[in-house]
Amino acid sequence: MTMESPALASARFPLLELLHPRGATRLLIATILVAVVFGVVATSRLGWPLWGALAAGLVLLLIPASVKWRSDLRRYGPALTVMGALLVLQGFHGIEHLAQFFQNHVLGLNLRASNGLLSPANAEWVHFIWNWGVLLAIVALLVSGRLRNVFGYALLIWTVAHTLEHTYLMVRHLQVLDELKAMGIKGITAQGLPGILGQDGWLARADVTQGSFLCRIPGLTVASRLDIHFGWNAGELALLVLAAHRTLRPATPRRWAAPRLGRLAVRGGVR
Amino acid sequence: MTAHTRWLGLLVVAAAVAACGIVASRPARAPGDLLPAGDRVAVTVAVEGHLSTATEPCTDTFITHELDARTDVSGAIRMFDSNGSGVAIDDLDGDGRLDLVFANLDGPDSILWNDGSLRFTRAELADFSSRAVNTVDVDGDGRLDIVFTHRAGGVSLWRNVGSAEDPRRFEPGSLPGVRNRAYSMAWGDINGDGRLDLVTGSYDAESFLELGDTFMFGGGDGVFAYLQGADGFSAERLARTSHALSIALPDLDLDGRRDILVGNDFNVQDAAWRWTGGAFESVKPFATTTEDTMSLAEGDIDNDGRLELFATDMKPYALDVPTLAAWLPVMDKMPKQKALTDPQVVANVLQVRDANDIYRDQAVTRGVSATGWSWSGKFGDLDNDGYLDLYVVNGMIDGQTLGHLEGHELVEENQALRNAGDGTFAPARGWGLGATESGRGMAMGDLNDDGRLDIVVNNLASGARLFENRLCGPGSDLQVDLRWADSANTHALGAQLALVTDRGTFRRDVISGSGYLSGDPARQQFGIPGDATVTRLDILWPDGRGTSIDAPAVGQRLVITRSGT
Repeated sequence: MTMESPALASARFPLLELLHPRGATRLLIATILVAVVFGVVATSRLGWPLWGALAAGLVLLLIPASVKWRSDLRRYGPALTVMGALLVLQGFHGIEHLAQFFQNHVLGLNLRASNGLLSPANAEWVHFIWNWGVLLAIVALLVSGRLRNVFGYALLIWTVAHTLEHTYLMVRHLQVLDELKAMGIKGITAQGLPGILGQDGWLARADVTQGSFLCRIPGLTVASRLDIHFGWNAGELALLVLAAHRTLRPATPRRWAAPRLGRLAVRGGVR
Repeated sequence: MTAHTRWLGLLVVAAAVAACGIVASRPARAPGDLLPAGDRVAVTVAVEGHLSTATEPCTDTFITHELDARTDVSGAIRMFDSNGSGVAIDDLDGDGRLDLVFANLDGPDSILWNDGSLRFTRAELADFSSRAVNTVDVDGDGRLDIVFTHRAGGVSLWRNVGSAEDPRRFEPGSLPGVRNRAYSMAWGDINGDGRLDLVTGSYDAESFLELGDTFMFGGGDGVFAYLQGADGFSAERLARTSHALSIALPDLDLDGRRDILVGNDFNVQDAAWRWTGGAFESVKPFATTTEDTMSLAEGDIDNDGRLELFATDMKPYALDVPTLAAWLPVMDKMPKQKALTDPQVVANVLQVRDANDIYRDQAVTRGVSATGWSWSGKFGDLDNDGYLDLYVVNGMIDGQTLGHLEGHELVEENQALRNAGDGTFAPARGWGLGATESGRGMAMGDLNDDGRLDIVVNNLASGARLFENRLCGPGSDLQVDLRWADSANTHALGAQLALVTDRGTFRRDVISGSGYLSGDPARQQFGIPGDATVTRLDILWPDGRGTSIDAPAVGQRLVITRSGT
């Protein structure tokens, strides 16, 4: 793996270098300040819901983000720009799941109230599109030669599994909506149905798993939907960070490995 | 000594004093033992019958019989009509056979007198619009009376006036001082004075529907504790409003006294009180509760000597697309929780004590969280393997909320869950208990003296069912009737029993009722694994004194009588 940029190659923390706003720093700070002030005014004076103010803030942040990503495109090329953007977007996504986890486990809110910061985005089709988008971005990066390390391949497997779960959820969601439509019932959103994992998930409740250890796997068959998806996204983000780091700074042989490598080379030569 | 050290020292001393107080407040007993150290009460033990005399072969399933009783509703079934009525099982005429009492909404209540071999003679009571039924010796004459609650009404008593010549006679009685609306009830000696007290809860949603403005301004609803004295009952109002579908009297704080637990419908939080010696104190023992609590039942599901508490709610047991589509419109109409930290969940809850005796909900991990639109749920050792199994009846009929379904009915299979031997449960589909009639009240008892627990269900809009237990297996059975002569509590309501075997200790409590609107027999049934050796039977009487009977023979029914106080 070669470095596209000497700046990244020489950086102590190349991932931070990649994510650094650089020329857009002032714009980013100004946008954050504007977003905060707007959020306070919108929620306290205009009666906006918190999620509305946050969504507006996130839209505003796209301005410095687009400036930075245009700069990245010139500086690092499209692949590393996509990788950087994926890290940022998945990071924000992770914050949403972290907020839900915090609401439920730290603040003690019940599951219904633990909606995160952008509760209306907690819709099945949003999850479905988001996760397929993430999967496609990862596949594109692998095809382009990036993320090709052990963490990258683990990330691919993890993300495929996660996307399968959301595909299953989406299919069930549409099937139930169709059934309701056939019954002449409208206005039911059918959100939050159980998926493959977690309590009430396919693994825990399907007829074929009953009586076997599969329906009793700790965590995977008893965790709430909130915890399951927190786990999915935390794992995905962690693997993405590790894979990206390894992409920007490939592992170098350690000193203790050098003699062994030498011996292997000698054996190869004898043959 | 610094200020910090002084404060730390004070904290340690305070903690030590508090810990001593906690220890001292409980009766001294060895770990795992039911009985406190000290003297034992003498009893007489009589063998009143030998079990396992079944002539019918075992079939490894339950056989369904339709009974001559039916809870019906005139006209279309409106919202709270669908709540149906309860059923009780007990030996009312003293012939050793368990009789059945059915509450009825639109017709007279009825008794099915057990003539043996699962033949019954029907008798009617001129009492109508009934909800819950318990069989309790209210007047302490040694005979079990019948008590009903009513739709938007009060409590009625039918005194057992049977005699040796005419053992099957009841006449209307009165409960002086009991005069408020009651939907659910529970009986027990709450204040430890030796007399049976009554706790009732109203179902305000129904009262409002039935009574309109009268309900708004009439009062008389909520949760009441009626403490029985020499001249009748004195009422104490514990809550001004309630949607009490179920009441239980568990010992929540392990102080040896019965506490009060009220299960409320419609996301009104369940409420609990403990008797402090002169007053009731509100307590909150649970971190998680059911939102629409429909029934409450206690049982020691893992034979660790501590009782677990099971509450039913509404949650589909199947998750196929048609089932979800049937349920979603209903759940969409349900009232939503108001508080962000509301501890209620729309699922069954199984409260299991942890090492610190704090209740934790383990319904999901133990496989009992979803049993449909669940009404009565009760424990019983159905296969005589020494572990309590669970049976839950379910279903719903309502033109208002289920208008999208054929016949306005949510048809579900009752759920039988077999205890795997470790306190976890799995569906026992082969037992033949998946009846699809809309079940409400339910009770268990050995109705044909074959040593196996049978089940009776009071269905709504279809005939009651008796599920005759013909499960095969090597297990046997011991049945125990307690009698406390010279006491107002003649059937020892509130007594705790522990059958100690080399395969574990099996706990039972004598209670007036459990599940939904339904009474339990005073007779206690222990299933015993085929290879188990019974060491002794411990009895903790309601006054805290103990009796221990060494190596009682199994396969029989014992009547254990305590004389004097």
